[in-house]
Amino acid sequence: MRASRRSWWRVSVAAVALVVSSAVPSYAQNILIPMDDGQRNHLKAYGVAFLALKTGQKAEWLLNYRGGAFLLPDVPDLRRRAALDGVSAEPISDAALAAARAEIAGANMDAVVLERAPRIAIYRPVNQPPWDDAVTLALTYAGIDFTSVWDDDVMKGDLSKYDWVHLHHEDFTGQFNKLFLAYRDAPWFVAQRDRDIAMAKRFGLPDVPALKKAVADNIRGFVDRGGFLFAMCGATESLDLAIASLVVDIAGPFSDGTPPAPDADARMVWSRTLAFTGAHVEPSPYINALSDIDGHQVNVPARRQPLGTFSLFDFSAKLDPVATMLVQNHRTVIPDFYGVTTSFNRAVIKPTVTVLAAEDGAPWTKYVHGDYGKGSWTFLGGHDPEDPQHAIGSPPTDLSLRPNSPGYRLILNNVLFPAAKKKPRKT
Amino acid sequence: MAARPNAPLRAIGRVALLGIMVMLGSVALAPLLAAQATGTTTGTTTATAGDTTDPLGIALDAEEKGELKRAATAYRAVLAQALAPGAGDGDRVALSLLGLERVWAETGARDSVLPIVQRVLVLRPTDPTARGIQLRSLMSLGRDDEARLAFNSWRRAAGTDGAPFREYSRLLLAAGRAQAADSVLSDAARLLGAGGMLSGELAQLHVALGRWTAAAGAFRESLAGQPYLESAAMFALQRAPVPTRDSIRTVLMSEPVTLLPRRLLSSLELAWGEPRRAWAALASVRADDSTAAAWRAFGERAEFANAWPVARDVWVAVLDRRGDLEAQQHAAQAALNAGDAMAALELATRAPRVLRKGDSVAFRVRTLLPIEIAALGELGRATDAQARLDASAPYLDEMARAAMARPLVSAWLRSGDLARARAAVQGSDLAEDDETAGWLALYEGDLATARKRLVRADTKRGELVDALGLLARTRVPASPGLGLAFMALAQRDSAAASARFVALADSLGDAAPALLALASRIEAGKAKRGTDGKIPVAAKAMVLWDRIIASYKKSPEAPEALLASGRALRDAGDHPAAVTRFEMLLVDYPESALLPQARRDLERLRGQVPPYNSSQS
Repeated sequence: MRASRRSWWRVSVAAVALVVSSAVPSYAQNILIPMDDGQRNHLKAYGVAFLALKTGQKAEWLLNYRGGAFLLPDVPDLRRRAALDGVSAEPISDAALAAARAEIAGANMDAVVLERAPRIAIYRPVNQPPWDDAVTLALTYAGIDFTSVWDDDVMKGDLSKYDWVHLHHEDFTGQFNKLFLAYRDAPWFVAQRDRDIAMAKRFGLPDVPALKKAVADNIRGFVDRGGFLFAMCGATESLDLAIASLVVDIAGPFSDGTPPAPDADARMVWSRTLAFTGAHVEPSPYINALSDIDGHQVNVPARRQPLGTFSLFDFSAKLDPVATMLVQNHRTVIPDFYGVTTSFNRAVIKPTVTVLAAEDGAPWTKYVHGDYGKGSWTFLGGHDPEDPQHAIGSPPTDLSLRPNSPGYRLILNNVLFPAAKKKPRKT
Repeated sequence: MAARPNAPLRAIGRVALLGIMVMLGSVALAPLLAAQATGTTTGTTTATAGDTTDPLGIALDAEEKGELKRAATAYRAVLAQALAPGAGDGDRVALSLLGLERVWAETGARDSVLPIVQRVLVLRPTDPTARGIQLRSLMSLGRDDEARLAFNSWRRAAGTDGAPFREYSRLLLAAGRAQAADSVLSDAARLLGAGGMLSGELAQLHVALGRWTAAAGAFRESLAGQPYLESAAMFALQRAPVPTRDSIRTVLMSEPVTLLPRRLLSSLELAWGEPRRAWAALASVRADDSTAAAWRAFGERAEFANAWPVARDVWVAVLDRRGDLEAQQHAAQAALNAGDAMAALELATRAPRVLRKGDSVAFRVRTLLPIEIAALGELGRATDAQARLDASAPYLDEMARAAMARPLVSAWLRSGDLARARAAVQGSDLAEDDETAGWLALYEGDLATARKRLVRADTKRGELVDALGLLARTRVPASPGLGLAFMALAQRDSAAASARFVALADSLGDAAPALLALASRIEAGKAKRGTDGKIPVAAKAMVLWDRIIASYKKSPEAPEALLASGRALRDAGDHPAAVTRFEMLLVDYPESALLPQARRDLERLRGQVPPYNSSQS
């Protein structure tokens, strides 16, 4: 009788345990967010990884493993976020994780610990909607927080509050990207010009070129002191031109009332710049280009080059994790896209710069990275990876229609890499 | 499939060829006719592609067959003949030059045409075809400096003719060089006077530079002298960003009120999804024959766009102006389709103002009676509809009477008289119609027959989908209650229908969530947009959605209820509650087919994607 009671009791307990375990969702220790073609939404996957860091969780970036997968703790918040965003996430058992680590150890792969979410600032006019800048588009879509900063914030030294700063199509030479040629009467152009003139006056500077050069120098200082800079489009070229021309006038008379110095090229101080050296400054106010840094010269009809594709280079994940992080992608060859500055001529790139991607057989590069002082910077040519022929007035890109964009992954790689725990480079 | 190279050139060539051949043909025929009258013949014939005696014919034939080298040789022979002293045949010069341009473009030897053109220009310095070919060729070869010189040379030769400016600016615009085109047109304005013959090109330039208001003004000006630019204007201005459209409207609506700019604006408004504004643009133009024709054309476009209230107003305006039967029929039908049965009845029974030949009484009756009966049915006056049909019997043949059966049956159903509806079906084409038989069975509660017949129905109306969906969810062969519920829907008594569907939820077991979902859709459809632009949530619909979500979690209607209630809350302005609903759907129903819609709505609410019709400055 007792034996039958005990066995009845055991069966009951087992049955209750079975019911309870099936009712409560079970969590593995970790979830793997693959970034190969099995991922439904690559762009929002970065947002999930960023959320993990923001909430103090541990995260790892598995470089070159399944397209640069993320290993995150399996907690309800992250699972929920992945479900809401349509991000593919796989629970991974300890055994499977051990097998993955063994594979990573034996191949050109590495696991990089991501420490904390970087504080992000985007340099742009404060009230501008986020649809005109590929980086703000990407961050908004992925749900990654950022703060907008503008000239006054930079001039007051507020960049020190941030780890990562992005620049897009600002013309730091103060020439409004020479858009006066076609848009001088457009209301938005007039408003932009008046705003910049007022800002220059506010800081006691004589004109817009002087203001933008001062801003550019502040940004240079930010990187020098350890900040991360990511620039796209015209900001890449104009930033270095502004930095190099600290003591020489390279701006046309439409912006400062005086013509550029005839010997500007000889007086540029390239030792101060981040990426470029020895470029020729375009002196004509009627030619819509700033210099010969840009390989494609999209706005100069006689010089305009057609778009091709660019290829991401391979790096040693264990020896060069930074470059490897920056090129993580599920595609190697990516269609090119125009911008005010589309590409960077090899002839004017400093020898210390790392080229991350380039068009095969072309004399220009697309994606470059380097260190500067205690910080580092990355430049990506072009305006919007999913709007190759972008023109002023074009409708904004809707990233929900491009959730797997390889071009946008390059942008988001740059957002996340400052979170990586620094390991000393072995070469 | 890749386009053949130089397709535009071939198109230009064919059009030019056709025009010139018509002229040549008429020129050639005159002496032939005269010769026939005098009994003699002439040796001059019109060259065609099949004519292998004339060098032009040989050239065309060779080009048609793809024998490009032979074609080039033949075209050169034609040109030499045409340029011979005393020949002075400008048309053949043009034809041969255009032929050479096409042929050498196909063979990748486009620059070969340049020395030929140069020799022609020595003899004929103002020849527009030669000048145009020279400019086009230099531009496409990327020899921009030489193109500029060629343009200047043409300018000097052409004097006050705007053709060089027009051609060069078009080529620059096509090459994306809007700024250069701006300079050329500014020169033209300075030398030839502003606007005028170049206003079309100016307008295209403004479009290329994103100067929408100026473009609208230039197109308006150009339409006066070049009305054929209306399509080009419509195509160009249609792309204007939303914030700029008001300024375009102001330009095109301004005084003086003339038909062309107003018609352009009405086309634009239709393209922008604003049919009411489109009609407003046309309605105030002085009513004359041209305007009435424009109204007619607009009425048809409004019908095509399913803008029935607008179509009704348009056809009523046409009817008031022209008074013909066609307009009357369109007006009445549009009113009926717009849900305005009273107006449809009034229009269908209006006495004719104008009787045209062919508008016999019988013809009028056969044309307007179906609409009249349908309108009476919508108004619940089935008895009057039957009486009207009986009174019109002398004017109706078998076929016409059979065609009236459907609106009459609908009228009886609208009145709730199932027996009379059945009687109306007897002896008509509808007796064998699966959809009619299926609906009648459903109204009687005979679900077995309804299932069999409705599934074979041809139409795909929303009500049919609802009915089939419900019938598929229950296996019971009969349900008088369900029949009465659908009958209430047929009588447009949505309150009674909704209440009956909800009451049946307890007795029809598996079909309960589907019944509740149908009832919720009926209740939600009653909500109307307020003056603040928000749509208040229909309280009854929300109660039903919540019941489905809470009590029927595993049913397919649960995610549908979450999505519908989320959207209703969003439209009412309660964004946090809407977000909660969408998130619940995304997290709790990961396999639902509605996930992409819910995610999109959530992204829009959170501002993670650009709003509809947003554009940058």
